[in-house]
Amino acid sequence: MIPRFLLTLLLISAVAVTVSAGTIEGTVSPGKSSVVYVDTIQGKTFPTPSQQPVMDQKGLMFNPHVMVIQAGTTVQFLNSDNVQHNVFWPSISGNKKLGHNLGTWPKGDKRPFKFDNVGVVSLLCNVHPEMAGYIVVSPTPYFAETDASGNYKIENVPDGKYNVVAWHEGMKPLTKPVDVSGTGKADFTLSK
Amino acid sequence: MWQSFRISKCFLALLVLVLLIVASRQGFAIPAFSRLYGTSCSTCHIDFPKLNDFGKAFKDAGFKFPKDDESMLKIPPVMLGAPANAELWPKAIWPGTIPGIPPIGLRMNNYFQYTGTSSGKFAALTPAGTLPPFVPTTDFETGFFSIFTAGNFGSDIAFWVDDDISVSGANAVGELGDGYLRFVNIGRLIKLPKNSLNFRVGQFELELPFTQARSIWISPYDIYSQANIGAMNSLVPLQQFVNNNFQMADVGKGVEFSGGLHTGGYNYSIAIIDQNTGPIGQDQNPGSPYIPQATGSNNGGVGVASNADFKDIYASFNYRFNLEHDKESREAIQAAGPTGPRDHTYLNFGTYYFYGRSVQRLLGATVDNTSSLVTAREPFYRVGGNMTFNYRCCLQFNALYMFGHDMNLLPIDSTGALIPLQNLSSAVPVGFIRSTPATFSGGFVDAEWLAYPWMYLMIRYDGVNSTADRINGLQTNPSFTGAPFNGPFSSTRNRITPGVQFLIHANIKASFEYQFRPSQTVVIATNPVTGLPMAFNPFHTNTAVAGLEWVY
Repeated sequence: MIPRFLLTLLLISAVAVTVSAGTIEGTVSPGKSSVVYVDTIQGKTFPTPSQQPVMDQKGLMFNPHVMVIQAGTTVQFLNSDNVQHNVFWPSISGNKKLGHNLGTWPKGDKRPFKFDNVGVVSLLCNVHPEMAGYIVVSPTPYFAETDASGNYKIENVPDGKYNVVAWHEGMKPLTKPVDVSGTGKADFTLSK
Repeated sequence: MWQSFRISKCFLALLVLVLLIVASRQGFAIPAFSRLYGTSCSTCHIDFPKLNDFGKAFKDAGFKFPKDDESMLKIPPVMLGAPANAELWPKAIWPGTIPGIPPIGLRMNNYFQYTGTSSGKFAALTPAGTLPPFVPTTDFETGFFSIFTAGNFGSDIAFWVDDDISVSGANAVGELGDGYLRFVNIGRLIKLPKNSLNFRVGQFELELPFTQARSIWISPYDIYSQANIGAMNSLVPLQQFVNNNFQMADVGKGVEFSGGLHTGGYNYSIAIIDQNTGPIGQDQNPGSPYIPQATGSNNGGVGVASNADFKDIYASFNYRFNLEHDKESREAIQAAGPTGPRDHTYLNFGTYYFYGRSVQRLLGATVDNTSSLVTAREPFYRVGGNMTFNYRCCLQFNALYMFGHDMNLLPIDSTGALIPLQNLSSAVPVGFIRSTPATFSGGFVDAEWLAYPWMYLMIRYDGVNSTADRINGLQTNPSFTGAPFNGPFSSTRNRITPGVQFLIHANIKASFEYQFRPSQTVVIATNPVTGLPMAFNPFHTNTAVAGLEWVY
């Protein structure tokens, strides 16, 4: 009798925690194509995502120009061009030891790479130096990209205190503490 | 003292002129393509204007991406008729396109030159009674401001025009470089294999084994600049009556049939161009009421281009062996390397041949002493071979050999006796007899190493051996008659030119060359043994040149 009561109590508590998951929202200046994510949460790990997003190379451009993923995600690099490319990144957030060259592959083929290290990956092409793309590797599954107006909304964030990072191409990233209790709000103004 | 300065400056001016003439034909990277495709210069160029394999394929295709060109264009072309109009032809104009923006590129360059003090020795050539100018050892030179445009009109019709707007800071003293239409792959109309036949018409640099117009070197290949201008020099027993200003690097006006690819396998070119071997460009001829001209009415016009009816013929053939083990990579436009596509490792062999006729006309007489114009038509040819070994992206060795041969016709009088050339103005020639040909040979070898994507290290050896230059060198006094170098000390002129180039940006280049110039002389004396003239006291006038060039 008592164990059943305790189980019921635990279940209710668990549901209550889930329900208490909130959102973090706000705006980022300069706006579109900014990335906001919740920084590392001490003692917390997350399962590896099963989805494998595609970073395309088409018309001598990376598409999408900016992609944000959770650490541990495998990205499929596709070549949709009839010319050869060579995808590489010289570093991840300045750590040159994490630089990597994916090589070259023909049109229509994909080449996977699993990003385990957190940071910003600057994608380049050895052949077409004007090509640039970015993959922001977030340590948590709590991230979002801004819309055209610079607004963002990160959903399903458990209540708690976090450090939230905002990033935009060519700008210095900015970190702000956010207290989520149902909702949290953080606006960022990034500068070069 | 002052005299020495005068001649030195003349020499310096000549040197600068040569450099600038060369520079006027180099450096045509195409920013217009960068704009249209939203891509960097380095997509097509190793060190502009030198093309990489992809750039060669782009050019072969008629200034288009070899595949999926439409999807690569960031600025779509403007249609000059819907494609369906093709079905209506000949009752409709065949549909074509023009680039979505005017495909214009601009170029500017500047030079700084340091000339060795030996240039002062040319003071000995100063005509008496003339004031000598000052000769600077160092000199800044304004180069060229040029415009160029190129692209594709659809239906595989490519175009190219480049022109110097100003030269050395002066307006409108430049000239048209290339200006042509190229009909790509017209062989398809008669079911020939793909890429086996193209047709080009207009003014263009011949399909030389190594382009002079788009060379990365500041100084020209000496063998390409070699005219064959014989001497009227009574001091030597062997006289030459050749006055052939043709140089291989000259642009030609005419048509060209070509085929093959420059990225692997064969390629060929057969060009038929106007003959123009005179010292003055025939396109500069003033209009004449007696000469029908393309845009003239009763008189005037753009000037005739030929100095004879004969059309010169040029042919070249090359075969390139791509040395990649993997078949798929070997047959691709670029080889696949672990760090991305790269130029193939390849070996290229080629040969070329040019045939023309140099014309000289003299006021003379017929054998019955009736005044007449006597004409010497001296056939000439240039023949040679070339080789390139390229190792991947970074290392290339080039070599070219050329042999030049001009028939040498000496004027004779009514008695059949040779007319001494120095007496030609007072004599009455009635014809010509064949003498020993005026020949030259030579070429160059060079090595080019792309040490970094932004730094090219180069070294080149030029050698030219010319009978005409030797004779010309022996008559340095009283006048210089047109040999490329004043007073060559011997028949062979050797030059070694190390250089380095830095791409400051993809479109800004700093170039440095140091020219260890050929041995020269201004001292002529009589050989006590043979009794013939002989050059003494050789010296070198080395030159350092720095260039800064940008295109946009």
